[in-house]
Amino acid sequence: MISSTFFTLAVIGYVCATGLALAYLVQRHDLIHRLGSVATLGGWVCHSLALVIRGVEMGRPPLASLPEAVSVAVWVVVLLEMWAERHYGVRVLGAFVLPVAVMLSMSAVGRPLEGPDIDRALSGAWLWVHIGLALIGIAAFVLNFAGAVMYLLQERALKAKRPGTFYYRLPSLETLDRLTYRTLALGFPFLTTGLLLGALWARRVWGSIFAFDPLALFSFVAWAIYAATLAGRAAAGWHGRRAAYFAIIGFAALVLTLGAGFLLPGRHGS
Amino acid sequence: MGLFVAGMNHRTAAVAVREQLALEEDKLREILREVLVEGGMAEAVIVSTCNRVEVYGVAEVPGEARATVFRHLCHQRGLDPAAVDACLYTHVDRDAVSHTFRVAASLDSMMIGEPQILGQVKDAFALAQACEAVGPALHSLFTHAFAVAKKVRTETDVGRYAVSVSFAAVELAKKIFDGLSGRTVLLVGAGKMGELAARHLVEQGAFPIYVANRTWSRALEMARALSGTAVPFDELTTALASADIVITSTGAHEPVIRRDMVAEVLHGRRGRPLFFIDIAVPRNVEESVETLEDVYCYDIDDLKQVVDANLRERRREAQRAETLVEREVGKFLARLADADVIPTIVSLRERLESIRLGEVKKTMARLGDALSSAIVNKILHTPITKLRESSRAGHGRSWTELVHELFGLGRQG
Repeated sequence: MISSTFFTLAVIGYVCATGLALAYLVQRHDLIHRLGSVATLGGWVCHSLALVIRGVEMGRPPLASLPEAVSVAVWVVVLLEMWAERHYGVRVLGAFVLPVAVMLSMSAVGRPLEGPDIDRALSGAWLWVHIGLALIGIAAFVLNFAGAVMYLLQERALKAKRPGTFYYRLPSLETLDRLTYRTLALGFPFLTTGLLLGALWARRVWGSIFAFDPLALFSFVAWAIYAATLAGRAAAGWHGRRAAYFAIIGFAALVLTLGAGFLLPGRHGS
Repeated sequence: MGLFVAGMNHRTAAVAVREQLALEEDKLREILREVLVEGGMAEAVIVSTCNRVEVYGVAEVPGEARATVFRHLCHQRGLDPAAVDACLYTHVDRDAVSHTFRVAASLDSMMIGEPQILGQVKDAFALAQACEAVGPALHSLFTHAFAVAKKVRTETDVGRYAVSVSFAAVELAKKIFDGLSGRTVLLVGAGKMGELAARHLVEQGAFPIYVANRTWSRALEMARALSGTAVPFDELTTALASADIVITSTGAHEPVIRRDMVAEVLHGRRGRPLFFIDIAVPRNVEESVETLEDVYCYDIDDLKQVVDANLRERRREAQRAETLVEREVGKFLARLADADVIPTIVSLRERLESIRLGEVKKTMARLGDALSSAIVNKILHTPITKLRESSRAGHGRSWTELVHELFGLGRQG
């Protein structure tokens, strides 16, 4: 199928972009950064084509199996990364986001893209909206995670008073804290709505919100962590290190969610 | 006639020698005029700063030109030229070009990447121009050097990181805060160093400025100098609550900023970071303050450590800048070689064109314009290629002269 060729090209582009982004961290050379941007954009364009072609081939949005959905999530992550890099002027952002994007793509690559379809009981617009919203949320949380890691690195460099690579390359603590807050505020409503739609549907069809589905269970754990972080930030003035730790814990829960979807039997297919 | 640079710098000459030869403008003007007359030089630029005294020129015999220039320089100060001679170096041709570019790009400076040298070289060039000592060779050399300097500055970080304690503090503040405009600065103590650091912050947009000092009149004075507001010394805790950056430089022997004071104000700040720049010795900020969250505290040793790291970073960047400069030297020399033969090629073409037109008119009219033009192009192709090649290989001049002779092209400019 043509789409798989483009998928492969996209992954190659992302892998190159990751390598270049990491190299840029070590060697601040304009050319490396420019090549990295080109590789990212090239990979993303191939990825877009692959998704469109796949949609046409299958006659439905490319969201029907977990590997497909992860692939779309990666697509959103890369899009957000390219935007945030320009918007916040954080040229090293790619070094923190792209490795995650590549790992996610790889997790989907090992499996047949067709995968077992998500439970047939789900179909129609409701399904696509549920998956789509959850994915945008997840993509924002990848950036949230990257922002938190960068914050902790910069904070440590400043407290240790030994300027190193991260001190020179990373932006100010305030910028990084704002990036984590914004991505949390962006991702949370999407994740919430996505999960809510899924839960309502599950109750109608299976009569229970979780319906013995591991992915659903883990995703509610992740949601609860993010909800607590957002509440802490908005109401109790959480910020900086504590907020960053919570962002990392939340992301770990999201990774477990996806892992559960891939490895454990459940209604999201395995 | 060849390009050369001769002189001394901070590596070859002691400051005692350099300071004697650093001359004022009108003296340099005088010397420039004299050396052009008697030094056998076609063009000359003299750069005279506290770290280097150099002459850039075009001369038949660089050694002679150098001797003349430094004889005049030494004469101004009553020095014995023989004593200075040991400190002097001479670079010619490619090395001269490379040296010029490195000097302008601040790679040859005592403090690598310091920005003043470019301005000084520009001034020296302007002075020489005013004295009509600059011809086409030095003009293209220096304009290219200025372009290279700009390129080095934008494409590498050689001049980017602070190498003074007070600028390092500003840089650190920018790694904590998202821009400094509108940040509140509290200056505790009225020392010179503290004032300098505060000024740097103000230049970056920090505002308002509060000044606290044990002597109220000193506080008022300093507040006026910085367009800030004086606050009573015993209301330090109140001032801390609103400050973002605190500079301490009092002569106190006990800490002025104690942990309990900072802990008290932290709660009301809702996570806004607080940055202490403690340049006093003994330190004014209690050591345990820095263990508080969102508080960053740098004493004078920490700042020096940052400066050292910045210097290492600059040296690393300088390596990249050197590569860039070498590439530009190659480009410049290739262009120079091209410029040498182009007038010849142009007049050769013009000459043949006029012959062709004349002949076409007179006897070959029937052959038609196009055909004859094609013939001329065919004939010319090999000589022009050869001429270009010989020029790139460095013996363009003799070939050029040969062609001039052969075709009677008239003297080249």
